[in-house]
Amino acid sequence: MKSFNRVLSLTKRNLKEILRDPLSLTFLFALPLIMLVLFYFVFSGLTSQFEIKYFAPGIVAFGGTFISLFMGLLIATDRSSAFLTRLYTTPIRSYEFILGYSLAMLPIGLMQTCLFFLVSVLLDSSILSWNLLLVILASLLITILFIGFGIFFGSICNEKSVGGLCSILVMGQSILSGMWFPQEGLSEGFIKFMEVLPFKNCVLILQNIMLGSASVLNSILIILAYTIVVYIISINIYSLKMKQK
Amino acid sequence: MENSAIKIDNLTKKYKSLVAVDNLSLEIKKGELFGLLGINGAGKSTTIKMLCGLVKPDSGDAFILDKSIIKDSSIVKEFISVSLQETSIARNLTVKENLEFYASIFALKDEEKTNKINEIISKFNLNEVLTKKAKNLSGGWQRKLSIALSLISSPKVLFLDEPTLGLDVLARRELWKIIEELKGKITIVLTTHYMEEAETLCDNIAIMVNGKIKDIGSAEELIHKTNSKNFEDAFVKIATGGNE
Repeated sequence: MKSFNRVLSLTKRNLKEILRDPLSLTFLFALPLIMLVLFYFVFSGLTSQFEIKYFAPGIVAFGGTFISLFMGLLIATDRSSAFLTRLYTTPIRSYEFILGYSLAMLPIGLMQTCLFFLVSVLLDSSILSWNLLLVILASLLITILFIGFGIFFGSICNEKSVGGLCSILVMGQSILSGMWFPQEGLSEGFIKFMEVLPFKNCVLILQNIMLGSASVLNSILIILAYTIVVYIISINIYSLKMKQK
Repeated sequence: MENSAIKIDNLTKKYKSLVAVDNLSLEIKKGELFGLLGINGAGKSTTIKMLCGLVKPDSGDAFILDKSIIKDSSIVKEFISVSLQETSIARNLTVKENLEFYASIFALKDEEKTNKINEIISKFNLNEVLTKKAKNLSGGWQRKLSIALSLISSPKVLFLDEPTLGLDVLARRELWKIIEELKGKITIVLTTHYMEEAETLCDNIAIMVNGKIKDIGSAEELIHKTNSKNFEDAFVKIATGGNE
């Protein structure tokens, strides 16, 4: 019970820290939303990849990269401040810190997905179906993966370098997911490379569930594997850094 | 050990070739307000960091209320509290939220939590800033809040690492008053660079030089021992070995 209370307190605190930061809100919610609306109106008539049914899942995954960024920033800032040093003198355990950070970001991921799909439905009501509920559920897995990346970056970087490293993730999600650029003309090898990375699989899971396609298992397994590996590494690095402190 | 709150046995910490704390042994009684003084790099903060579990000693051990800081560190963390040199507050939370957050960490029950928070608010006069975000408080208020947070868990042993650093005279005096009120109720270990602070507040003072205790006693005893006019002179004589 004591452990549960501590995790709950940490979660509440972390959630408030993120939601009270205007910059976080801009990147987590406003920027992907503007991209969604803008690209839909400008390009959806020109190329099919910007039709809402293909593009909205891409935006959800793209928004997830900012979860990594702000998770990483929060952890790196906490680590460099006396705030966390003091908490290390309290009975809080390292796994409670990790849970506190992770659980704070889950509702943010959920809010992102709901908001992006709500606007998507307003733009194109043809995507409205019960499958959207499954898409929202599946997006939690993607959020957990990006939280894991955030914990990893926040544990190894300081607050100045975490932004730089996370931008690799943002770039990766943009370029290697196939959401912004058509894949026609790319070499077979490069497409295979995209398929073993998490970025394209995040988008595929959401797209295929939304379109009612059955071929999501492979992508889910890939994302699950990445999530487990990233979490194991992140937890170990965080615990190590905590001991070093 | 019955009357002892802290017993340090040959505690040593090295950073590569630098010996930050060198075979330190010391006993602090329950309810005592004990001062650790020394010039920068003397090993005061490292000693406090080892006692509160932030830094692992290379050798030796210390016992806080008979619990080893090495073997029983999670038990020790239940009854100690620390206020560090830097203000350690959640910047985007309000003053009240900070108090509630720390109270929840120590799993205080609802009624106990409310009572404790109200007691701290009144003791530190936090009412006027209660709804302000911590980051918008002045340096003095942030420091006050940081110390207030360290009392929320009703610790049996409190470590104050330079608690009044950077505060103006009025804010410092206000904090002294609060610390004085705690005297005898809990054991306090305080580090400071202000001689007047140590002289006014501390029952006993240890002067550290190069990780070792050079001398120990009440301010009066140290003045008398060194034939000095005041405590600052006594400190300088002890810290420099009388070469100043």
